[in-house]
Amino acid sequence: MSYYLGVDLGSTTAKSVIVDQAANVVASQVVQMGAVSRAGLAKSMAGALEAAGLAEGDIAGTVATGYGRRLVPGVGRTFTEITCHARGVAALVPGTRLVIDIGGQDSKAIRIDGDGIVENFAMNDRCASGTGRFFEVLARALECDIADLADLALTGDRDLEVSSMCATFAETEIISLLARGERREDIAASVHRAVAARTLGLVAQVRKSEPVVMTGGVAKNAAAVRFLEQTLDLPVTVPATPQITGAYGAALLARDTGRGGRVDDDPVTEQRAESPADCTSCSAYAPAPGARPLLPLHPR
Amino acid sequence: MSDQLASALAKLTAVADDPDAYVRDWTRRTAGKAIGAFPMNFPAEIAHAAGALPVIIQENREPDTSGRTLLAEFYCGYTRNLADQATKGRFDLYDGIFFADHCIQLLGAVDVLRFSAPGTPMYFGQLETSLADAWAPGAIRDKLGKFIEEIGTFMGTSITPTALGESIRLFNENRRMLRSLYEARKAGNARFTSAEMQVLVKSSMVMDKVEHNELLRQILAEVAQVPRDDRVRLHLSGHFCHAPKPELLAAIEECGALVVNDDLYTGGRFISTDVAEHGDPIEAIGEWYLARDANFPCPTRVKHATDWEDRLVDEVESSGAQGVIVLMVKFCEPHMFYYPELRKRMIERDIPHLLVETEHEGVPLESLRTRVEALLERIRTNELVAGGRK
Amino acid sequence: MTTVDTAVLDKSNRLSATKLGSKMVSDYWENVFTARERGEKVVWYNGSAVNPFFQAAGLVWCHGEAFSARLAAQRLEQPAQLAAQEYGYVGELCSYARTHLGCAVLTQNAAEHANGTGIVGLPEQAELASRLPAPDFFVNAYAGCSTGQQWDDISFRVFGKKVPIFNVSLPFLWGNKPDGGYLVGEEWEQASDYVSGQLHELVAFLESMTGRPFDWDALRQNMAYLKQASQYRREAMALCAHAPTPATFWDWVASIAHINFLPASQELVDYFATIKAEIEQRVAQGTPALRDERYRVYFDGIMNWNKLGFLARKFADHDVAVIAGRYTHQAFWQEPHLIDPENPIRGMAQHYLLCPTNHGANTIRHLILRDCEQYNVDGLVFHSTRTCRAFTNPQQLVAQAAQEKLGIPSMFFEGDVADASFYKDEILESRLEAMLEGIDVRRARA
Repeated sequence: MSYYLGVDLGSTTAKSVIVDQAANVVASQVVQMGAVSRAGLAKSMAGALEAAGLAEGDIAGTVATGYGRRLVPGVGRTFTEITCHARGVAALVPGTRLVIDIGGQDSKAIRIDGDGIVENFAMNDRCASGTGRFFEVLARALECDIADLADLALTGDRDLEVSSMCATFAETEIISLLARGERREDIAASVHRAVAARTLGLVAQVRKSEPVVMTGGVAKNAAAVRFLEQTLDLPVTVPATPQITGAYGAALLARDTGRGGRVDDDPVTEQRAESPADCTSCSAYAPAPGARPLLPLHPR
Repeated sequence: MSDQLASALAKLTAVADDPDAYVRDWTRRTAGKAIGAFPMNFPAEIAHAAGALPVIIQENREPDTSGRTLLAEFYCGYTRNLADQATKGRFDLYDGIFFADHCIQLLGAVDVLRFSAPGTPMYFGQLETSLADAWAPGAIRDKLGKFIEEIGTFMGTSITPTALGESIRLFNENRRMLRSLYEARKAGNARFTSAEMQVLVKSSMVMDKVEHNELLRQILAEVAQVPRDDRVRLHLSGHFCHAPKPELLAAIEECGALVVNDDLYTGGRFISTDVAEHGDPIEAIGEWYLARDANFPCPTRVKHATDWEDRLVDEVESSGAQGVIVLMVKFCEPHMFYYPELRKRMIERDIPHLLVETEHEGVPLESLRTRVEALLERIRTNELVAGGRK
Repeated sequence: MTTVDTAVLDKSNRLSATKLGSKMVSDYWENVFTARERGEKVVWYNGSAVNPFFQAAGLVWCHGEAFSARLAAQRLEQPAQLAAQEYGYVGELCSYARTHLGCAVLTQNAAEHANGTGIVGLPEQAELASRLPAPDFFVNAYAGCSTGQQWDDISFRVFGKKVPIFNVSLPFLWGNKPDGGYLVGEEWEQASDYVSGQLHELVAFLESMTGRPFDWDALRQNMAYLKQASQYRREAMALCAHAPTPATFWDWVASIAHINFLPASQELVDYFATIKAEIEQRVAQGTPALRDERYRVYFDGIMNWNKLGFLARKFADHDVAVIAGRYTHQAFWQEPHLIDPENPIRGMAQHYLLCPTNHGANTIRHLILRDCEQYNVDGLVFHSTRTCRAFTNPQQLVAQAAQEKLGIPSMFFEGDVADASFYKDEILESRLEAMLEGIDVRRARA
């Protein structure tokens, strides 16, 4: 039996998922890190292997994704989170056309076609508005636990004007709302509403499509999902463990490529071998052959 | 790589990396006057015919400090950097400043210069931007006549049609040689990286044309034919008044892309059009200004005979590019206005593209890589998925 | 924590005449919205007040910036901005243009996609789209901001390049020559000639669009009304040099629509005559516009249209009388002596060139410092307007000059004309307080 490992090294968590040849999830592991760390990564990978009762040697292929994808040791190849989330969602919720992935430091809207292939995507730029980090700022300013934020927001009813959605200024803005005597619930609800409006902007860039699935750590925040549904005026499905969607997609891509064709006999690689020995023309280009993004990744 | 080619390329790279050093050196060894010009349509031939070294002022690589707050943070990186250079006295090496383009952000930067160096001779000869009006050619001719007058007075000389004709021929030769290298890349020669291609054009904006032409001849004499490899072929589009950072270009290529064409200012756009070498030279420069926009439509000009989206699709198809990266200078309004028209056409034509906004401080590299790689993954998927879907 | 009751007494005493004026504005828009029902031709235009030409030609005119400002003031801007974002416009683009282009997209899509675009809800879409009648043609006459001309060209493209468009090119008054300055110099005279010539071409274009000879007498009549209305307006403004001021910047904001794009008429003249009479009466009776005027400030920048009442109230709460501003006082037929109703073209051309963003920083500095002295202000408030580079352009240079030459302090706050998401209340609040404290300290030492 062959197993495939997907590793998603994000800005705040390391996620590992192991699938078998039939694409079933055998084990998964999420490790919280303060920042991107190799130790957190190793812990996550080891945890998944242990949970699956497997050794490293049982893994036939590994794909890494996320911001730290190049840090993953022994990885066969890497894919971006965009491709991995699309792949993961296509398997988890077949027929999905729009993925909204909100992680620790960025948010993305990904429109996919009927086969789970990325048609278009949009990402927030430098602005941390609406990301996991932004909700941490909100929780800190409201002096509540991040886990309690959703409950707080879901009991707010007044729509306050939150003028600044900049993570840098949001804290002072929230403090001044508190100073004005506004209820924490209303503030939490209003900020969630404003975040949903921002996300709608990302969705507008790729075109609204349905069904919609939300992934990433913020999808665990029920209020974020509820306000997004209201803003989109559409139901939003959340997978059981939304934060492992990328790692799951990566594991599936490891499985797809493992079954579909080895790197070694890929026609593209052969072409490359024929290219001239004088590589001065592409001195800027020297990725290891295995790190090159080559597919196929048809989900079936 | 041959020694002669390597040495010529190294010289051009040095100029592109530090234009100020070249200008200082040129003025010292020739005792001539240097004219600083701002993009995009300054008729440099006129300044050259008067005996000056016309230099298109580039963004520098220093962090913005003393001039940082003089223009608001929502100005493009180039104009904020110009304001910063102005307050640091970096334009002292120019004897005068001349420019022809009405961009509100650029005018803000130039006013910072006027306030920080009030003694510097400066002239703004605003060229018409609505190009299809019946009166536009006449108005443009008048403005060019004024440039002849003002630059002549500034240089203490009278610019003759003969001198202007000679400058035109020299500049045309420069553009022709650069175009031949661009055409070769479009046709499949992968000899130069996109950063190297940028060096060729950017150095031309700075250097004396006789010197630049000589180095280009050395390069052309020895340039080898290097076939493209298997990387995803991309077209770079946008950045129509200054150079994107070379490390940005390198990062795109490091992700597994081969840049095969562009419509950048420091690229295809700058060298697209020659000035007619016969007839009245002022008339010819006026026609060049109109033809330049017709050939490579720019969203800072309004007219409707030709459109950028058509030209973009032509350029993509003729070079075999598989996708486009739109390099938008953050806060560049003409580009923000026009981008949806480009996007609409690219979607209609199934040309995958990625929008990247650039700033003086650079682009967050990891985020850039993720987006570029996602574009490349998408193109490869399209290529490989059954049925050859595009 | 208890809720603080912020509903304390509003200290401002707005002119009653401007309240009458709001009906004139709503009547105007109603007339625009029902133009199709009456079978009238509609022109979309941006920038300068070329509307007296349209009025004389028997057209219905819709000013893009004014429409966006109106949507923002009514808090209806968001669906249009969302439609614009969906179409691909980046959020840093001029929010006037983004709002207006969003409406153009909705207007254009209304016929093509009965099911909506998806992102903007159908009711909102129908509302916006039905309000703004599609143009029969465009006229652009944009001074100062280089992107103004591009804006209408993009509208032209959004409408499929099928609607005729006419451009008036307005040179930037940069001040190349030593004789260059406000209303003087070779550059001013040449630009006046150049634009006058184009306005004659505009008349020919309007004749071709309407199929009728242009009614020059109607234009002369319009300009006679506007000249008189403007004289009343300027005289009334000048009375605000009086302390405490009888009217504020917010009163002048309330009558921008009137002077900028409402039909020229006797009613318009009467409106400004009424304003002037009310201000004269206030001066005579010592009635202030703000109950406790402690500070007088100048406002530089276009206002945040979706926060007008909020901002007026905020300044009033701090006993700050906003006396004048570049937008209200250096625009809108502000030099009536230039208008010759018998030969109106040149004076009109000159006013189009006198847009408050169409000067180099030297001239803007001259105008603002002159206003500061005339109205005896204690401080300058700069609206660093996120998506309006044209207005923000010289602000830092002017602030430096005001400090150096007049000893007047400045503050900057961040916001936008029509996109409320850029407004940062905490910055305005803390910087305003800091500036006022500085003024207090200086006064205590004096």
